[in-house]
Amino acid sequence: MFGRLTTEAFKHDWIEYLAGLSMVLGAIFFIVLITYLGRWKWLWKEWITSVDHKKIGIMYIIFSFVMLAKGLIDAVMMRAQQAIAVGDSMGYLGAEHYQQLFTAHGVTMIFFVGMGVVFGIINLVLPLQIGARDVAFPFLNNLSFWLFASGGMFILVSLVIGFYAGTGWSAYPPLAGIKYNPGVGVDYWLWSVQISGAGTLLSGINFLVTILKMRCPGMTLMKMPIFVWASLATMVLVVFAFPILTATAAMLTTDRLLDTRIFTAEFGGNPMMYINLFWAWGHPEVYILVLPAFGIFSEVVPVFSHKKLFGYTSMVWAIVAIAFLSFIVWLHHFFTMGAGANVNAFFGIMTMIIALPTGIKVFNWLFTMFRGRIQFKTPMYWFLGFIITFTIGGMAGVLMSIPAADFQVHNSLFLIAHFHYVIIGGTVFGFFAGYTYWFPKFAGFKLNEKLGKYAFWCWMLGFLITFTPLYLLGFMGATRRLNHYDVVEWQPLFIVAGIGSLLILCGFGLQILQLIVSIIQRKKTMDVTGDPWNGRTLEWSTSSPPPFYNFAFIPEVNQRDAFWVMKHTKTAKAQHRKYEDIHMPKNTPMGFYIGMFSFFFGFGLIWYMFWLAAIGAIGMIVCIILHLYQKHPDYHVTAEEVAEIEGRKQNV
Amino acid sequence: MKNPVTTTHETYPDVYHDAYSRTIFGFWVYLMSDFILFGALFATYAVLCASTFGGPSARDLFHLPFTLIQTLLLLVSSFTAGLAGTAAHRKNQHLTLVFFGMTFFLGVLFMGMEIAEFSRLLNTGNNWDNSAFLSAYFTLVSTHGVHVLFGLLWIIILLLPVWREGVSHVSIRRLTCLRMFWQFLNIIWVFIFSFVYLMGVA
Amino acid sequence: MLDAHHGWNRSYKPQFLGFVTALLLTVAAYRIVTHNELSDSLLHVTIFGFAVFQALIQLFFFLHLGMESKPHWGMITFLFTALIIVVVIGGSLWIMSNLSYDLMPMTKH
Repeated sequence: MFGRLTTEAFKHDWIEYLAGLSMVLGAIFFIVLITYLGRWKWLWKEWITSVDHKKIGIMYIIFSFVMLAKGLIDAVMMRAQQAIAVGDSMGYLGAEHYQQLFTAHGVTMIFFVGMGVVFGIINLVLPLQIGARDVAFPFLNNLSFWLFASGGMFILVSLVIGFYAGTGWSAYPPLAGIKYNPGVGVDYWLWSVQISGAGTLLSGINFLVTILKMRCPGMTLMKMPIFVWASLATMVLVVFAFPILTATAAMLTTDRLLDTRIFTAEFGGNPMMYINLFWAWGHPEVYILVLPAFGIFSEVVPVFSHKKLFGYTSMVWAIVAIAFLSFIVWLHHFFTMGAGANVNAFFGIMTMIIALPTGIKVFNWLFTMFRGRIQFKTPMYWFLGFIITFTIGGMAGVLMSIPAADFQVHNSLFLIAHFHYVIIGGTVFGFFAGYTYWFPKFAGFKLNEKLGKYAFWCWMLGFLITFTPLYLLGFMGATRRLNHYDVVEWQPLFIVAGIGSLLILCGFGLQILQLIVSIIQRKKTMDVTGDPWNGRTLEWSTSSPPPFYNFAFIPEVNQRDAFWVMKHTKTAKAQHRKYEDIHMPKNTPMGFYIGMFSFFFGFGLIWYMFWLAAIGAIGMIVCIILHLYQKHPDYHVTAEEVAEIEGRKQNV
Repeated sequence: MKNPVTTTHETYPDVYHDAYSRTIFGFWVYLMSDFILFGALFATYAVLCASTFGGPSARDLFHLPFTLIQTLLLLVSSFTAGLAGTAAHRKNQHLTLVFFGMTFFLGVLFMGMEIAEFSRLLNTGNNWDNSAFLSAYFTLVSTHGVHVLFGLLWIIILLLPVWREGVSHVSIRRLTCLRMFWQFLNIIWVFIFSFVYLMGVA
Repeated sequence: MLDAHHGWNRSYKPQFLGFVTALLLTVAAYRIVTHNELSDSLLHVTIFGFAVFQALIQLFFFLHLGMESKPHWGMITFLFTALIIVVVIGGSLWIMSNLSYDLMPMTKH
């Protein structure tokens, strides 16, 4: 009945108990709060069942903030362990716990923070920037979010019931196979990745169709904002790379559940094929994480430099080149796996080449700033932090693209420093820039500027203090994923890194404080014009927040920076247009239910409760059928209602 | 002063055409992603097909005449699916049901033959856990088979409203997606037939 | 496929043509293998060629590839898919065979 789920699954060491307890208390607090405020119906109607891209985007970001908290705590714990565990001291974390930490940290940060903020921001901004009312498939959008959330739940639940994988976030077989890891850990990993991956793939299709098919009249491809170009390239990467992960994770699943011999060390299997396929997905994945950040900076820099973006065409070609090249560099993740010189050389050269279009983009942003009237608001701080951090990280990457050099630093802390420099400098700083920039549009008021800058400085300095020592340690021979080391001379650097991580945690705390303070002070920073930064793109032509249908009239454009053009060429036409009925999709609970059943499916397979898995599978199919048979999935907002909403906005 | 506004109910945007175009293209993009998924499975098969771990190989195990019949069944079903799609676009309820019905029937026969072949292999001791070759074979072909099973279920789900109420705009859109899906599966099978069976035996 | 309610979606004729061609190609490929007169590598190339050709026939006649009006997003996405498949399968084969480059010769088991 309960498969392999016994009371043993609930037994943990005292640190895990503490973590699980705080998580459960947090959930209980949330439930009590909503009940006390009497907001369950509101939560269900306005958020959980919403097919509005703006609401879905906010839910992605909230979920990502929660996962960021967990990921940061994982990180601080690891830094603390490494600061103490030298020579005779074994630190406070055993090897098994430490392995789960670095695995969960990686999966949490990449899949549930990185991908979450990427899809959150694109959800919020993309339809508005192209003058559309929503994405191509609003129901699918909602479903994608709940699949994403379901995937994230596996990591959280594993803290209380059972344990998470200890294989590293890439889960290489044969270690991740059934023979060497028969427990539930790797199965939790597989389902968190597989289910959220399905959600991501559906979103990739959704946003790709949206960009290609739903741009407002006059917005040709070469008139789109660069953020839209970046999103387009990102979605191409998602659609063409994620199926590789789906297939690979599925084969590891059959290896574990059904005894197939695809990645096994025996019976003719080939574990190296897993590594090959994993990174064929994995490399495009890191560009999926970073390209949207490039897009965000292409929006922020022109606005806060009061100058149009330098080199639009070359920016587009750079994005296209990066997207294409990202599919032919993947072997650089395993130069040391035994390929001959010609294979290593080919992929090494391709990796070096991919730095070129990236460099072009960096110069174009700097040339945009040149002779601009720069406003040093928080988004620009994040941009400048990115320039420093990402450039250093990128150069470390080019160093490692030379196979002979990589042989020295592969899987050392040098590698860890490199990818944290580019992911945090790129994705995280990019998201924070976007978050502070677009917050007023969706909340209706600005974030507190001073706290934003304090948070930035904590993050920036904290980051440099944490990760610069890792470059040095990597060169000195420190391997990654160690919970203990013998070289006493390394300890000071580990201590410095530990202090840095605490500073980052402060930065994150300041961001939470910033949010709370900004909400309290919202009357003072209210955005009444819809255009608080003197923006250039269409989202700033709507009110803050926009009406649920985005635009009463679909805009017509004929140039880049369409809103800037509108502001500076007086058009008196606005006064006498007739409002029309607007066709909108209805909310639906099916996305939530399918997400819930997907969790049952995965949980059932993890714990060998096959009846539960069957309920999950059948439940998903039944919900899809019910959704298909829905009689009236849409409704019309009457022209009178539109007129009333637009009139209310004008009277504010 | 409030702007004088007038309202109109005359112009609904052409939701049907726009929705059709977006859905069909969206489904096409999904099929492209499914091509990539099968690509990864084919790559795995290509790398592992020689790893028989001392056991029988493709040449020893596959019966080409049997597979040829399977292939022809699926090809005819792909053809009838196309005819069914055309019938749907012409809003011909009767022919839509007949042609998709034939597709369903041929699909069931195809799956029956596939299950028979799998049974034969399993009963003669050629389980997938014997070797990487057999694992890769079963995984690739089963993935195709699972797609076919979902297709069969989908045919039933879509034909019920057609049977009850005739061919609506929404049905045309969905049946077109189903038709595309079925024909996509046949293209995948062309590659399975060629690379797994024909090249395996040759 | 990608053009709405007219043209290719409403005609039966191209589908007959496509079906018959695919049928002939299937049977021809089968016969070439069962009445093996070609050398090994030529055989493999021929089977490969027949498969690709039949896939293209079905893509054109059944799935109407190339028949949409501008912009040809269906064709562009298909070409990119084909490219990625060639890269992933070809790249994997190249890499995986190359990985045994430095290995000692194996004894058969």
